[in-house]
Amino acid sequence: MANTPTGRASVQRPDNMMLRRTRSLFLVCGIVAFLLLGFRLFWIMVVQHDEYEEQAVRQTVVRQNVLGLRGTIYDANGKILAKSATKDTVILSPADIKKYDQDLDGIAKVLSENLADYGVTYEQIIELSRDTDSYYKIVARKVDREDTDPIREYKNSITGGVNGIVLSPDSKRYYPYGSLAAHVLGYVGIDNDGLAGVESQYDNVLAGGMGRITRLRDKSQIGMLNVKYEDYTQETAGADVKLTLDANIQYYLEKHLKQAVEDYDVRNGAAAIAMDPNTGAILGMASLGNFDPNDYQTLSEEAEEELATAEEEEHLTKTEMSELRTAALFKQWRNKGLSDTYEPGSTFKIITLAMGLDSGVIDLNSSFYCGGSTTVIGRTTPLNCWKTDGSHADQTLTQAVQHSCNVAFAEIGERVGAKTFYKYCDAFGFLELTDDKEATLTAKTGIDLAGESGSIWWSEDTFYNPENHSQLASASFGQTFNVTPLQMVTAISACVNGGYLMKPYIVQEITDASGRIVASNEPTVVRQVVSEETSATVRQILEKVVGDPVDGTGKNAYVAGYRIGGKTGTSEKVAQDAAGGPKEYIVSFVGVAPADDPKIVILTLLDTPSDETGIYISGGQMGAPTVGKMMADILPYLGVDPVYTAEEKANMDETVPSLTGMDVNEAVALLEQRGFNARIIGEEGEVTHQLPGTGATIANGSTVLLYAGEEPSEEQEEMIDLSYLTYNDARDYLAAMGLFVSTSSSVTSPSTQAVLAQSIPEGTLVDHGTVIEVTLVTGDQSMLGMY
Amino acid sequence: MSANSKAARRRSILPGLEAAAKHRGGFDITLLTLVLILLALGLLMVLSSSYPRAYSEALRTESGSPLDYFNHQLVFAVAGLFIMYAASWVPMSLYRQGAKLLYIFTIVMLAAVLVAGTAENNARRWIYLGFFSFQPSEISKLSIILLFADLIAKYRARMNTLKYGVVPYVVVLAIPFLLLFLEPHISCIIIVALVALTMLFIGGMPWKYLLTLFAGVALLGLLAFFVSNHVHVRILAWLHPAAYADDDISYQVRESLMAIGSGGLTGLGPGEGRQKYLYLPESHNDYIFSIVCEELGLLGAIAILLLLALMLLRCIQITLNAKDRFSFLVAAGITAHFGLQTILNILVVTNTIPCTGVSLPFFSYGGTALLMQLVEVGVLLSISRELPLSNAE
Repeated sequence: MANTPTGRASVQRPDNMMLRRTRSLFLVCGIVAFLLLGFRLFWIMVVQHDEYEEQAVRQTVVRQNVLGLRGTIYDANGKILAKSATKDTVILSPADIKKYDQDLDGIAKVLSENLADYGVTYEQIIELSRDTDSYYKIVARKVDREDTDPIREYKNSITGGVNGIVLSPDSKRYYPYGSLAAHVLGYVGIDNDGLAGVESQYDNVLAGGMGRITRLRDKSQIGMLNVKYEDYTQETAGADVKLTLDANIQYYLEKHLKQAVEDYDVRNGAAAIAMDPNTGAILGMASLGNFDPNDYQTLSEEAEEELATAEEEEHLTKTEMSELRTAALFKQWRNKGLSDTYEPGSTFKIITLAMGLDSGVIDLNSSFYCGGSTTVIGRTTPLNCWKTDGSHADQTLTQAVQHSCNVAFAEIGERVGAKTFYKYCDAFGFLELTDDKEATLTAKTGIDLAGESGSIWWSEDTFYNPENHSQLASASFGQTFNVTPLQMVTAISACVNGGYLMKPYIVQEITDASGRIVASNEPTVVRQVVSEETSATVRQILEKVVGDPVDGTGKNAYVAGYRIGGKTGTSEKVAQDAAGGPKEYIVSFVGVAPADDPKIVILTLLDTPSDETGIYISGGQMGAPTVGKMMADILPYLGVDPVYTAEEKANMDETVPSLTGMDVNEAVALLEQRGFNARIIGEEGEVTHQLPGTGATIANGSTVLLYAGEEPSEEQEEMIDLSYLTYNDARDYLAAMGLFVSTSSSVTSPSTQAVLAQSIPEGTLVDHGTVIEVTLVTGDQSMLGMY
Repeated sequence: MSANSKAARRRSILPGLEAAAKHRGGFDITLLTLVLILLALGLLMVLSSSYPRAYSEALRTESGSPLDYFNHQLVFAVAGLFIMYAASWVPMSLYRQGAKLLYIFTIVMLAAVLVAGTAENNARRWIYLGFFSFQPSEISKLSIILLFADLIAKYRARMNTLKYGVVPYVVVLAIPFLLLFLEPHISCIIIVALVALTMLFIGGMPWKYLLTLFAGVALLGLLAFFVSNHVHVRILAWLHPAAYADDDISYQVRESLMAIGSGGLTGLGPGEGRQKYLYLPESHNDYIFSIVCEELGLLGAIAILLLLALMLLRCIQITLNAKDRFSFLVAAGITAHFGLQTILNILVVTNTIPCTGVSLPFFSYGGTALLMQLVEVGVLLSISRELPLSNAE
């Protein structure tokens, strides 16, 4: 036994048993163990690979869907009418708050502080958090990024993030012009679906493509893995849509339509459509009462007042009120020009006129007699003209249209014949003839806008009845059938554009996110309905309706310098009449300009003007001036140059030239040349001062003050009330005071047109030489009952 | 002749060592090379597997860097290599002389850790020494190996007696086991116990004692299963993973299997693992091999297993050629230690046996453990310097 193992002599080698046991234990156990490990690894990593990988992927991969931003809607000039912006929807997960024991107080504070504008309160968060089974409680939708930034910051303030608050990307639709073109644009719902108008019609184009973020997350979600593993299926922005609608034209339509609704106390809404007759492109389409698509669920103030009144007066229950509210909402969302049908009345005479001319049964030399009424086959009572005193008497074709004579048009219809009449109606797109002769007939224009209604016409059997021509007679002047205003505009455009029925459209082109045009609408000729000659004749006659200051029922639509054609329409609402209620009317006017080469057709209809305004309810009195004002704004905008007649020129305001320093006699000659009078104050030969100053525009025939050596008086004059004075009288009264008058209204008859409003109120002290601007009443009130 | 044939057989087992032996004082380059390769791979895997954890901790504490764990391990690796080299120069006689002293030092440290140690995860295992933490339980392994080798070499002839063959070892183990139990550090007890049993077996302990001891250990294990909830849960969780889905241990095992399983044949690529992103706890430590499997695949894992097997084989060769019984037993103990930890670690991470905290030599994060493993390599290298072949000449 060696007690000193280091001693070389006493070294004890491991004995055989030790070597044997070592060898067998290590080698046997080692080989067995390593084989076992190898097999085990093979089993887990190859055989069970899929199963484990799936588990690992499931816990690490996060997939999030992101909806691409909705496309923008532009007007014809590239103005943005609708645009989407990125927002956040804030979601509370009470289950996570409980599970991860989060600071509810802190969460509720942060949310209520930053979302106060969205009506979120501290108590509300606490209340929501009680439902600890829920992972998804919406706190606020479509919140601005700047409001969610502090929430995002709070969420990331601790490692791994605060659990229980989720900010989900969302978007909100903005309509920068508010209610402008609301019915055309439509609106989008809370889930960004287009629910009306272009938004609905082109929803699949505008809608952004769904994108997907696939990323791996670390367990605490610090974001360590994101950089490395993020994998996008990029969401795609929706395509942009460019409309044919022009925001400026739309604005003018809405402005004057609104004014008309106020002026004539229109009770049941109004509509106006402007179309380029050569292409069928919609330039403007307005409907009142309207809404703000930014906030489409909110009723207009008037509608709210009406509801409140109804509630007070009729003691309605909550359910009844909510039904009324829903009905009011649907009413304000309704695009009257597209979705409502009406009896067009006399504006339809354009169509009858065109088919009469085209089929050759009438021409410009045709004459008609109206004794106030006529008989119609199958009709028990005589058919009355709107003017029953027989004063229409003998008329040329042009006069019959100018007068809007029902008797004459019943005769034209009779001459055309029921079958031909319907064939033309089919060709104009008012109805579609079918094999079923008993079927009520209908048609649509097929415009690319959601919500179009179809027309309603008598069945062929009824209309063609040889024993009863009363349907044909009434239809000839636009009654006993229903069409949409859009159908009227489209058909009338065909009558004036050379005879071609164009398919109306509202979208010019569609461009994808990169600006590439992916689709565009080209003008589509559906068919030629009437000949070029017919169309030219129609234009010629229509111009006489507006342009004739004596016989024209549409003269109130006249705009000085412009050749405007048009036709009035007044139709009694038959359903209302049948129900025994008070008589209600839809008054309308269609204007075409310039009459020799139409660039725009505007149809305006006012549903149920009040009989309490003192203005006679008729298309001529209400529709024509409205369209006239629209034309007065739109035609210069479209770049149509005014061409004034000599008479118009004589009536027009004129600019005062520079006279100071001139010889007095020369100055007087110059003034007279321009249609002014001159009054010389002082005795010198040279003009030392003039009133009004150079460049002032004042009424034709005004007396300009020429000072020859004297100074104008420093005194001031007290303004007088000019109401009800004619334009000439106003000019002369003011001249006596050393004041002047000018107007932006069109001056057709300065000796009869009266002042409606003045720029400087009565009683104001004004300097000598001041120019007062006045508004003139258009037309006179002498021609009552114009159809 | 028989001496010649033995020498021939030794030569045939140990071709490389012969050459080394010709230059007395040279150590076994093969073992060193294998260890260096494993160490380098281990460091890379620590870098890969600890990065996310270090990153998240740096974020949370707003200090430190994502490389903290790696740097720490690197420092210990470099220091360990120097100490290993130094240890390889220490003659085995000195180790034998110092065995008792080291044992006493170990006992003192194990006692000290109970008093002054820092606790982590309900266990008091570390002594904080200013710039790093020191884990005394790691020394206990080498300490027991050296003392057992000394005792067995000394009492080899009387291994069949109770007094010299059983009692001293039970006594030697009892004190550190008690202290380790108090920490608690059960996995260390298991490793030391298994290494000790191996050494006793190799040292010639008769089967009757071996079986008795084995039965005793089994009885203790059974007792632990019923007494200690800790052990109980781990075993049940191993048997019925689904039923213990919410349990931390079961979670760890499940995540480990996901890591290994998703590696497939070729792996997700170095550094490309997913499970280390805070899903798999201890991904840089006891479960580092799961990340190896995940990132390097079956082929990479098998390659590393082969490297470990080659290293162990080299250890066995050194053991079998050790110049004397003490060196032989020390080498056997160290070999058993490396082998057991390697095998147990992989059995645990693959959920082949119930979960227990065993680290993978040269791979798992842990300063003291790595340091001590390199010291043990140093001892093996020292043994390889003193090859007996020159005597045989």
